[in-house]
Amino acid sequence: MLDNLLIAVYLIPTLFGLFLLSPMGRSTADSLSSRYEILSTVRGQITTGLQIITFFGFAVSAQTFWITSKISEGGNFCTSSTVFSCDDLLGNNDLNVDPFFGMSWGLIGMMVNAFLLFMILVIKNDPNGEYTQRFIQLGTLITGAGILVILLLISYEIEEGKICLYCTTAHIANVAALVGFLRLRKLHDDNAAWKASSAK
Amino acid sequence: MEGKLSKDDHAGAVGSAALTVTSIFFIAIMIIAFTANPIAIGTDVGERAPNVEGKAYNGTSWSEFDFESYFDSTWGEGNISGQWVAMIFMDTDCPYCQQSASNQADWANSYSANNPNWNGPHVNFIASATELNIQGHDSSRAEIQDFRAEYGHGFPYVDDIDQDNMDKWGIPGTPAYFLIQPDGIVAWNSEDKSKTLAGAIEELTPKVGA
Repeated sequence: MLDNLLIAVYLIPTLFGLFLLSPMGRSTADSLSSRYEILSTVRGQITTGLQIITFFGFAVSAQTFWITSKISEGGNFCTSSTVFSCDDLLGNNDLNVDPFFGMSWGLIGMMVNAFLLFMILVIKNDPNGEYTQRFIQLGTLITGAGILVILLLISYEIEEGKICLYCTTAHIANVAALVGFLRLRKLHDDNAAWKASSAK
Repeated sequence: MEGKLSKDDHAGAVGSAALTVTSIFFIAIMIIAFTANPIAIGTDVGERAPNVEGKAYNGTSWSEFDFESYFDSTWGEGNISGQWVAMIFMDTDCPYCQQSASNQADWANSYSANNPNWNGPHVNFIASATELNIQGHDSSRAEIQDFRAEYGHGFPYVDDIDQDNMDKWGIPGTPAYFLIQPDGIVAWNSEDKSKTLAGAIEELTPKVGA
């Protein structure tokens, strides 16, 4: 019960971030722009959405890393006889690490999301800076490559016949971040829209 | 002298973002470090034993081996009811393995819940049979079955002819022994030459009334 509630803590803000950066989120951004000025522009709307997504992507990755560590102690966190049993996947020593360096997937998720968050903060604080274009391309590339990792991890879930909801939330965050970076890339290509001081 | 200092107008945004993200990252790592105590996977004493995979022969047929089913993560030190595991890595053509096979049969019978004279926990013996890369050491499932029958072993033999388990466990040569606690933690390995597997069982397992 508690672990399901905890998933909602990560999943709801991630989905809100995705909604905010989408064109459908414009009205919400407008209603919040009097309080948060940055939301008055499309660029600010997308970077804020991405900031929320990458932060909660980082948090849910940290949670999976913590669960993996607790299981290795001999404990359990979300063991279930149903298909939704993250312990069976996060506690599987053959599947819970990457096949090349043996690093925990949770730790990899933390590092990737932290780097994405760093790039978003730089773009947000200095949108016309020299790093902007490079970071937008890098963000698109990293989250695009993340899709391949997600496919690998989903193949593990199919193989084991179990679904790890924490991992799924992290996967949703990656897909949402990819959508955000693609939107940001499109916006950046339109010089006028990128530099606009308010959404039209 | 006129100094030439270049000014980076973007350094503030990068530095501030780097500081924020690094702080968040290290706070998360510190929380994990203080609230979890992960145990490494390995074959040294105190580490969690790696998995053993493959088909196992139990005397009648070969079936998928489930190593995890031998362990109980809730087991606590001193608990007499937990079952221990004695893991043997061997090669049916290795002379030392053949010499010690009779002892293994005796140990499996002695440290069993079926032995009324044993006041310790039940020890499950498991053999992982490999094929060493030495001339004349060719093996097969039929040879493993014959070896098991010849020495009167009643415990399961895992087919490790492809050496997968041996590699995973980092076994330098056969026979190699491991005594594993009921929670899956390695309690002793045969790199410790001060005692035999039997000696380790006698010394390290809890006893009734002790």
